[in-house]
Amino acid sequence: MATMGVTRRRAMGTRATSGTMMRAAAVLAVLALAGCGGSNSSTASKPSGTANVAYAGSLTYLNTKIFGPAFTTATGYSYQGIGAGSDALSQEIAAGSIHPNIFQSVGADPIVALTPKFTTWYVRYAATSIVLAYNPSSKYASQLAAIGSGKKPIADLFTLLRQPGFKLGRTDPNLDPQGRSFILMLELAAMQYRFPLSDVNKILGVPAGAANLATAHSTQIFEETALDARLQAGQLDAASAYRSQAIQLHLHYITLPATINLGDFTMKDQYAKATLTLAGGVVKSGKPIVLNVTVVGKTDQAAANAFVAYLLSPSGRRLYSQGGYTLLTPTAFGTMSAIPASIRKELG
Amino acid sequence: MATHGLRAANGYLAVVGALLIWLALLGPVLTLLGHLSWHAITSTLSAPGALDPLVISAESGTMTLAVLLLLGTPLAWALARGVLPWPRLWEAGVLASLLLPPLVIGLLLAFMVGPYTFVGGLLAHLHLSATNTMLALVIAQVYESAPYYVLGAQAAFAGVDYRLEEQASLLGDRPARVLRRVTVPLAAPGLAMALAVAWARAMGAFGAVVIVAYYPTGLPLQIWTSLQATGLTSALPYALVLLLVALPLPLAAYTWSARARSRRRG
Repeated sequence: MATMGVTRRRAMGTRATSGTMMRAAAVLAVLALAGCGGSNSSTASKPSGTANVAYAGSLTYLNTKIFGPAFTTATGYSYQGIGAGSDALSQEIAAGSIHPNIFQSVGADPIVALTPKFTTWYVRYAATSIVLAYNPSSKYASQLAAIGSGKKPIADLFTLLRQPGFKLGRTDPNLDPQGRSFILMLELAAMQYRFPLSDVNKILGVPAGAANLATAHSTQIFEETALDARLQAGQLDAASAYRSQAIQLHLHYITLPATINLGDFTMKDQYAKATLTLAGGVVKSGKPIVLNVTVVGKTDQAAANAFVAYLLSPSGRRLYSQGGYTLLTPTAFGTMSAIPASIRKELG
Repeated sequence: MATHGLRAANGYLAVVGALLIWLALLGPVLTLLGHLSWHAITSTLSAPGALDPLVISAESGTMTLAVLLLLGTPLAWALARGVLPWPRLWEAGVLASLLLPPLVIGLLLAFMVGPYTFVGGLLAHLHLSATNTMLALVIAQVYESAPYYVLGAQAAFAGVDYRLEEQASLLGDRPARVLRRVTVPLAAPGLAMALAVAWARAMGAFGAVVIVAYYPTGLPLQIWTSLQATGLTSALPYALVLLLVALPLPLAAYTWSARARSRRRG
């Protein structure tokens, strides 16, 4: 920047510089060519191929630190991943802006949106629940700890959360299933502990009259990664989290009753009583928070199948259990005949 | 004769080389234009509140420029004139903020100006907050754009011949008048360029913004949330808006400063 004007003038004049420019152009051209083909190149290990996984943002830690390396050690295939909101990943896969061969999603909707073009089946394999993670040096920490350990009733939590000075953080309900689940959890809590829905508005920091909890602006909303960072930096009193995340990141957290935490598969009718309308007008009702997996795309199918098979195998499941997930009997949905045999034999 | 031919060939090669680099740099913009449909643009931008991000970006960008002019200019001048002790240390500070990835700056800002920090406490006394507010957005943009402005402005001031300033002083001008009548006018083309680059940087700021100011939503964040919520089709029109809004000012500054320079040389 500082020498921009000077360099430009010199570049116009001398032959030496035009040679340099030519070399730079050649390098650029080579880079452009390399960029076209090389992204999925396989490593030299025996079974060649890469499991290229698009995964829900909440799986970031588990996949990058634990599961990915363990998969490579166990099978010899390479591992590559990209984490983001499940809905966003689904959009990107549909638009062709990313080309994974495996998709791990929270909830089934993001996968169903890709049928039949990208896949015709999926397997449900694990569940997690909504918890409230809190900052151990918050001025409310002792009260939160007492609620967490059962010394105080869970109903007190919702009174505490609506204190005017309480700094709560959560994610965008329009983009992130966790942001939705947190609001749905509060609606279920309002029914169970008989507090008015206007208190849900207070807890969420949205105007008292706001009818739509998803579209109303609130200064509590953060990007998912920023939310954890903010809580760990001590700049929030509490934040929404998945139980798995809280365990992996060693956060202090309060476990919520199964009737409201969206983590118990047998209570799906109870959860469905809560509903939320998103910005686009789509209505979402409460559902158990489950992880689903499918194979998408056609590249490196062997590696992709091996990834899903390892995920459903006892060693893969052990890693999920350690990561704070509740294991579910792997159950397949969709066109059964389309499921590769190596994956089908791991189903319950 | 042969030398002449070689020189001509070299000239053509230089133009071809420049064209290649230019096209490569412009690649994303050309791709953007290729992927936009008129229908997508009108349907995305005619939705109620669709242009709010544009207003937010323009407001915050203007405030950011004001802060940079007010605080960055004196620093740049002092750096260029070497009036500060340990000049390398000051420069290292400016470069460090340029070097840090914006995302990291955002995370560090959360530590620095969050509600439970010293700064956050002071702000709270004034009933202000630097979390998910316009103030937070401006702070993030200032951090992302300030190094570009300060380094550019420093170069602009350094380009002013100090002997002209000395002569004005000798002729009896007070320092403030020398600054106003000699230094600033001579540095103006460079300052305008620096400000233009900083503006472009501020308008496109994302990494730090997404951490400290998820709300209010400016254009870069709107592109990102649209992409996540409804996909590429509704995200790209905002990229076009960002280009259309952010480009004229730097382009005008570029043209003006190039003209001013050539006039001075001629």
